[in-house]
Amino acid sequence: MQQHPLIAILNRLGTFALVMIALSIMIFVLARVVPGDPARMALGPAATQEQVDALRGQMGLDKPLAVQYLDYIGKALHGDLGFSLVSQRPVTTDLAQTVPATVELVLVSVIFMFLVAIPLGVITAHYRDRPLDHIGRILSLTGVTIPSFLFAITLQLLAARFLSGWPIIGRLDHSLGWHGGPTGFILIDGMLAGRFDVVLDALKHLALPAFALSMAGIGQITRITRSSMIENQRKDHVLTLQSFGLPERVIIFRYLLKLSSIAPLTIMGLEFASLIGNAFVIEMVFAWGGFASYGLNAILQKDLNAVTAVVLVAGLFFIVANLIVDVLISIIDPRLRRKEAR
Amino acid sequence: MTEPLLKVEDLNVTFTNYGRTRQVLRDVAFTVAAGERVALIGETGSGKSVTAKAVIGTLPKNAAITSGAIVIDGRDVLSMPRREREALKGTAFSLIMQDPLSSFNPVFKIGTHLDDVMRFADKRDGINSSKAERRNRIAAVLRRVQLADTERVMNAYPSELSGGMRQRVLIGLALLHQPKLLIADEPGTALDVTTQDEILNLINQLVAEENMALLMITHNLGVVRKVADRVVVMHHGDIVETGPCTQILHSPAEDYTRSLLDAVPPLYGPRVTDLEQSTRQPIITIEGLNKIYGRRNGYHAVRDVNLTLKQGEVFGLAGESGSGKTSVARMIMGLSRPTSGNLVIDAPAPARGKRLTQIVYQNPGTSLNPKRTVKQTLALPLKSIGMDGPARENRMQELMGLVRLPQSYLGKYPHELSGGQKQRVAIARALAAEPKILILDEPTAALDVSVQKTVIDLLLQLREELGLTYLMISHDLSLMRNFCSRIAIMLRGEIVEEGVTSAVFAEPAHPYTRALIAAIPVVTDEEEHLKPTVTEEERMRFLVKSTDL
Amino acid sequence: MADMKMLEPTDRGLSAGYMMWYRFSRNPAAVIGSLILLSVLILAVFAPWLTPYPKHIGAVVDFRARHMPPDLEHWFGTDKAGRDIFSRTIFGLRVSLLLVIGVLGISVPVGTVLGLIAGYFGGWTEKLISGLTNVMLAMPPLVMALAVSNLLEPTLTNAMIAITLLWWTWHARLIYSVSKSIASEDYIEAARLAGAGPLHILFREILPNCVSVISVKTTLDAAFVILFGATLSFLGFGVKPPTPDLGSMVADGRQFMPDFWWEVLCPGAAVLYVTLGFNLLGDGLRDMFDVES
Repeated sequence: MQQHPLIAILNRLGTFALVMIALSIMIFVLARVVPGDPARMALGPAATQEQVDALRGQMGLDKPLAVQYLDYIGKALHGDLGFSLVSQRPVTTDLAQTVPATVELVLVSVIFMFLVAIPLGVITAHYRDRPLDHIGRILSLTGVTIPSFLFAITLQLLAARFLSGWPIIGRLDHSLGWHGGPTGFILIDGMLAGRFDVVLDALKHLALPAFALSMAGIGQITRITRSSMIENQRKDHVLTLQSFGLPERVIIFRYLLKLSSIAPLTIMGLEFASLIGNAFVIEMVFAWGGFASYGLNAILQKDLNAVTAVVLVAGLFFIVANLIVDVLISIIDPRLRRKEAR
Repeated sequence: MTEPLLKVEDLNVTFTNYGRTRQVLRDVAFTVAAGERVALIGETGSGKSVTAKAVIGTLPKNAAITSGAIVIDGRDVLSMPRREREALKGTAFSLIMQDPLSSFNPVFKIGTHLDDVMRFADKRDGINSSKAERRNRIAAVLRRVQLADTERVMNAYPSELSGGMRQRVLIGLALLHQPKLLIADEPGTALDVTTQDEILNLINQLVAEENMALLMITHNLGVVRKVADRVVVMHHGDIVETGPCTQILHSPAEDYTRSLLDAVPPLYGPRVTDLEQSTRQPIITIEGLNKIYGRRNGYHAVRDVNLTLKQGEVFGLAGESGSGKTSVARMIMGLSRPTSGNLVIDAPAPARGKRLTQIVYQNPGTSLNPKRTVKQTLALPLKSIGMDGPARENRMQELMGLVRLPQSYLGKYPHELSGGQKQRVAIARALAAEPKILILDEPTAALDVSVQKTVIDLLLQLREELGLTYLMISHDLSLMRNFCSRIAIMLRGEIVEEGVTSAVFAEPAHPYTRALIAAIPVVTDEEEHLKPTVTEEERMRFLVKSTDL
Repeated sequence: MADMKMLEPTDRGLSAGYMMWYRFSRNPAAVIGSLILLSVLILAVFAPWLTPYPKHIGAVVDFRARHMPPDLEHWFGTDKAGRDIFSRTIFGLRVSLLLVIGVLGISVPVGTVLGLIAGYFGGWTEKLISGLTNVMLAMPPLVMALAVSNLLEPTLTNAMIAITLLWWTWHARLIYSVSKSIASEDYIEAARLAGAGPLHILFREILPNCVSVISVKTTLDAAFVILFGATLSFLGFGVKPPTPDLGSMVADGRQFMPDFWWEVLCPGAAVLYVTLGFNLLGDGLRDMFDVES
């Protein structure tokens, strides 16, 4: 008995909403349990107590926690995430500037990850226990074990030493005179505006950070793809199809590949967690200016609203990514769409 | 004399595990000619699967072919380079395996599998076909294997079809590809006996119509009789004897073959044993028992069942999967609550920690905790009835003696025991806390037929010695014929026939009972003649159609 | 039903211990991983006696020896305060190991117990525990750890707390799914029918069957924890100077790149080394147990 796909989606959205609510409560409480007075920190030690109290009142810090939370949620649903004490602007503005940078970086990394890891996994599985496999496995092991900050710094070092002129900091060469576009994604905006020099430059800037960010994921996905391919190769259906005359390449590239893509996709969901975490490091090393570095700063400065917003956005991003992954998997695997009648 | 399709000559294979090597096949030799049907029969450890794997080319890495030859279609397979050997898999023979579900890639539709096979079969024959054309031909093939709703089947994923349908599709694949040799590894073992019967008939028909050769690997002598022209009997890696089917089954030359035939419980004829009836009081009475799983529009597993279990008897509850027999047993055990109906137990309440009923599970491989020794497994029930140190030790020794296992086995883990030995441990565990009733859930289904005999004998002895009552759940009617005093047949939750075993088998009233008995693969022609008849119309009405979901 | 017929006793006469040792010793990953970890353990435990400049973990400053490249006196060179990087790296390894022991020492038992309970009891317990873990798993760990460790003083213990608060959920979820599938096995029902109480079933029937999964995951987790801790301290949230910590050493050295590269690469390589050890061992264990994680 098939469950109607619409119902499955609604189910997931429901869980998603519940998780977001729970998450927001947790973050909200956490951010406000901070020792030290945010208002005092913002105004500095020279400010008078009245000024501090006034700011506290303005920030609503004197109200009970539950009320603060509801206020916050109410405003958030209208797009108002509060005021950043550090940048002196609405948090939403800050986010609008910084989020696209991080999302662009993460997306490019993910694409790169899959483009490299899946073929690598298939190749190492096919040439199992032969030299190509050993090289591939060492590469993926390196990806998994190397600390992302070390890799990022090493890349910068190597680029500075051997690729003189290659950009190692920031998103774009400011001398190109680019002032941003509608989406905030330089690659898209640049193409829309026909400025291919900008697009090229942005890609050069993206190369090193995206590579560094994708390294751990490449390692994991290669390994999982490899073991999935090897495991599935042993299954009965491969032998059956072989015995009914299907050539090996059809079996590998059509039947096995689709089946073996389920495992890496599942891992991808979890990988996003470390991806977002590593984004903080990469952004810091490459001075990327995305919302991860914004968040880092906010945490250090105890910028209340900014911290809450950043954490919520990170959580949201993670949940949405997982949702997409779940949907993709259920498209591939029909067994997951079944709901037992009993 | 034309060259046989498959010739195995003096094959010797060893396995190496953990640094130890043992001989698995010894000088195995047999042939399969074009159009011939050969059955390779043996029990666990006989080497039949290893032989099949050697022929197919799927021996595991730790296996070594130390000598011998395998010649397929005139070519010596063992001296081929790897690439050629792999390519052979698609042209020399086709495979039908035990579990039809695992024979398909779960993320592709049936239609995709079928179309691809057909496309490459056409290529091989030099035919250029369009997708639409192929679709029609596939539909025709599906109809030949009696799957009428071809559109639905082609658009379905493997997990959406029933076991019987999947098996038919596999046979259909063979029709599309038209191999010269079909190798079938215990086909239908995973299916109900009525479905299995249909599948075997279909295989026979196919092999005859397409003039294919068949190599069937099985452990069931009844299946052999149905399907084979020649038989090869294997035991512990040796070939015990070979010969035409009728000769092997009626006048076997070797002792082992004879013992194998003896161990098969007869369905009819002079060798059948009738268990005496119990004259004592009923210990459990059930009236109007119903069980519905799930809430609204739930699955009605058990419908208005009435039965009595008399003290001291062996009562058999027979049926295929989905008949409800397991649900009834679980309700009797108290593991699940009836939706409605009466369950009256007429026995004194058991003492602290003890239960009236205990169960012996079907699969000894999963009914014992792999991380617990026999001693630890047995200690558990003894502890809960309050036995301490020395008393426990004594009782454990007693139990091991009861199930005829050496005391030294107490320290062993399940992986160190054979299937039969594990089942005895399971029986000992069930008996440890002194139940009055033992529920036997297909107790020998996972065991070889010779081991089955010893376990059944043990159970009968224990019943005498300890005054137990048995409720046996099974689908194996030949076993039940000789083991149960009374029997009830269940179909889709209802009891369709009930009575003294000998009477039910002699004059089965209900068409389903007749169909069920008729589907059992028997070993002798006499038994075949004594089987009840069932008309096609009755068959259609009552059997779970394997051509539909 | 189909696979039931093949009940060949697997290698009767061989104890489980022998079989495991055989597989372990022939698995190159497991062996190399263990050797690496052994070396790390020895270095960490005997650090005060093995390092050439044990005092350099404190507030020592030697301006003459600042920023010296690796040589015979200072195998890893010296940093901006003239401290021997090799000694500091060894002590940094010690800190990392302590972190691992602290975090996993709490997360694994807590996560395992909660996972076992959720998988076996089902019902509301299951919903509650799995709901809780789902929420916490929705949070990228680094972000949470940053937020939490920001609340507290930047010490090792607090970093441990921050990481532990999240880490148990990953274990809980894994054990939960294993426990749930084991709970439906016949032998668990048989144990219940034999009169076993829930405590016995959880810890003596189900848990022993989880050991392989737990060992593999714990070992691989150790690698993660070390990377995680190093990343946290790299970002500035770890221990306070002058206590040596591999991540903060890298962060410190970063300002002097590319001239004084050893100040970054040497501590970084140490992190790589110990992470490699855990990963290899974990992989080896996984192959040995034939576990799918």
